Amino acid sequence: MSTEPTDFQPIDFQSIQAAAEIDLLDPGSAVPQSFFQKARPIPATPSYFTRTPKFNDRFLTLEKLSRQYGNLPTIPPSQVERVAWQNLEDLKLSLGERVKSTDFSRCLALVKRLHTIHPKLKPAVIMEALEPFKKEVQPFLAKRSVATVDKYGRAHAAGKRKSSVALVWLVEGMGEVLINGKTLPEYFGRVHDRESAMWALHATDRLGKYNVWAKVQGGGTTGQAEALTLGIARALMIHEPALKPALRRAGCVTRDPRKVERKKAGHVKARKSPTWVKR
Amino acid sequence: MSAPLSLRCLLRPSAPVPRSITAAASTPSPWTATFSTTASAQKDGQKMGTPKKMSAKTKGSVSTHMNPTGKKQTMAKFKKNKGAKTGKPPLPGERKALRKRIQLSNNNALPVAGLVELEPKDLLDPTKVGTMVALPGEMQDSLRTLEAFKPTQFWPMFRQPATLIRSETVDLIAQMQEAASKKQMLRAVITGERITGKSLLLLQSMAYGLSKEWIVINIPEAQELTTACTEYAPVPDTEPVQYMQNNYCLKMIQAIKKANSSVLAKQATVYSHPELPQNIPINSSLLALLNAAKEPESAWVVFQAFWKELMHKDATRPPILFTLDGLQHIMKISDYRSPAFELIHSQDLALVRLFCDTLSGASPLPNGGAILAATTRGNAPRSPSMELALAQREAEQAGTEPPAHEPYFKGYDTRSEATLKSVKVMKVKGMSKLEARGLMEYWASSGILRATVDEKAVAAKWALSAGVVGEMERASLLTMRP
Repeated sequence: MSTEPTDFQPIDFQSIQAAAEIDLLDPGSAVPQSFFQKARPIPATPSYFTRTPKFNDRFLTLEKLSRQYGNLPTIPPSQVERVAWQNLEDLKLSLGERVKSTDFSRCLALVKRLHTIHPKLKPAVIMEALEPFKKEVQPFLAKRSVATVDKYGRAHAAGKRKSSVALVWLVEGMGEVLINGKTLPEYFGRVHDRESAMWALHATDRLGKYNVWAKVQGGGTTGQAEALTLGIARALMIHEPALKPALRRAGCVTRDPRKVERKKAGHVKARKSPTWVKR
Repeated sequence: MSAPLSLRCLLRPSAPVPRSITAAASTPSPWTATFSTTASAQKDGQKMGTPKKMSAKTKGSVSTHMNPTGKKQTMAKFKKNKGAKTGKPPLPGERKALRKRIQLSNNNALPVAGLVELEPKDLLDPTKVGTMVALPGEMQDSLRTLEAFKPTQFWPMFRQPATLIRSETVDLIAQMQEAASKKQMLRAVITGERITGKSLLLLQSMAYGLSKEWIVINIPEAQELTTACTEYAPVPDTEPVQYMQNNYCLKMIQAIKKANSSVLAKQATVYSHPELPQNIPINSSLLALLNAAKEPESAWVVFQAFWKELMHKDATRPPILFTLDGLQHIMKISDYRSPAFELIHSQDLALVRLFCDTLSGASPLPNGGAILAATTRGNAPRSPSMELALAQREAEQAGTEPPAHEPYFKGYDTRSEATLKSVKVMKVKGMSKLEARGLMEYWASSGILRATVDEKAVAAKWALSAGVVGEMERASLLTMRP
């Protein structure tokens, strides 16, 4: 109890009087005497004696709800709205209680069961009861942004390989290519690099149909050429999404995650051991 | 390992009649295979149960596996390839001769039916852009003498030398023709990226000059003049001192004589040349004048006399075509040194000076003609002055603001800039798709490009090479990948 500083008055202790003692055995009481003899205090919640009252309360609520509404029709799991439920750690943190994992899994099973009730018949109490079990951030609600061709007809995408990064703008045209302001043969001295840079267009027979304007940086020539492959493939999928399977068969969709392996202590390089020397 | 070409010729497509490139310009060739049969054919041959010869590789693997001799094994890649032992090291100059060898025909290549021989008017005809023309035999000899063919070009892959008529060709030859008809001089620098066909454009201009009976003079590699690899001596009575290169001059005179003999035989001298070692009376032929150069000692004097004769204004004198490849090399200080051990400027070398004076317009050709210099991108020194001057001329031609000197850069060469003050710059770029198609059809007809030449194939090769001729050759002819 706190009083506002503005309401503060000096307390007159003389005027305070305790209430009269309740005499349970007073024969004049309206309540029958036998009641008081048998009565014992009942806690407000059945979880009063547990170490996890909040969790227990929720669990009991869910159990009660499932007894009450368990017969309501459900929808198939594939049609249920996807929800990211809290995991044990999240729940422990949010409640500040030690929850056993077995209890938690039983509880979550109830949650999931109640969640499958047909949304049109699902009572508001269930929704309310399930709400605290949801994660704060719901990744399934996030919509993936779909890249589109801009008003000048350009598709923009980025590709990476090793430590090279390529930013690619692809536009319908006659097959001209400019990489960092240079033409393809000027930029890549090796024919192989040129071929791999243009592989996405070559594999889909689009070589003379798009113009490429790209910025590449980092890494060596091979990395840059293959970063371009990925960038061009991604930009091409913006123009023609139906080409994705063909590009995947050509190996242009997945980013190659391989990088230089780090050097290890006691080794000359990542794996190479020092030459054996006799003493 | 044998050359891939000979294998290919064994597995030539079966239909014997090669099609004409003119007739089949629009339709894909009926006999060119859409895929290479080489690998499968080899595989079939092995399956047929022909007595298999154990290849060198398999032999080696068997023996090393069993190691019958017990000798120390060496991995094949570390073995030194000693080659055939002839006992004698190659003679001086033999290696270079092999390196610089020009092979102009290849019997493994198919003859291309419908390939017409070059006519001078073809080089002027814009409707002929994108077609190949063969160089006539006599012209081949002249061009070879003038060293117009380069060892890096793709001549050894074809049955006979042929060249593609490009829009740049038509443009250049038309300007040459116009200048000659007005008795004027075309002064131009041909520049462009690596392997775009600058030297070949010079070759085409020489071919035109030879067929039109011009006097054609060529300096095939300017670096031969300035990298101090040929003898030099001061020209007497010159101030500031100029240097003559007699050996080089003698070689050049012999080339001029051989390539232009018929024209020179018709032209007569008009001056007496008392300084020559041999008396050449007035009204003898220019060929006789050039024949006076028998020793290197007299070469420069003879060349000067020859040049003086050419400079004589006369309606009967033919126009002159003077070409040089590798302009950067003469736009800088040379590697030669004066008696005081100071470096000599390239333009103090008498022959280079003569070329530069003509190129700059200081000493015009009275009977008209053309003086062409091509830059080079292979083994070329940087010449900031030349680059700047060419960029300036290009900007002036395009009507834009010419670039200025960098204020804090000291490497400019004023003499080079003065030389290029008023030349015309012709930039050779990548081919158009039409030209690329003409070239690819020629390759297919010659049997070295084993793919159907259609719009798709042309677009693919064109995109990979940006239309640069040499890059298209590298991407199409030097790779076994389809």
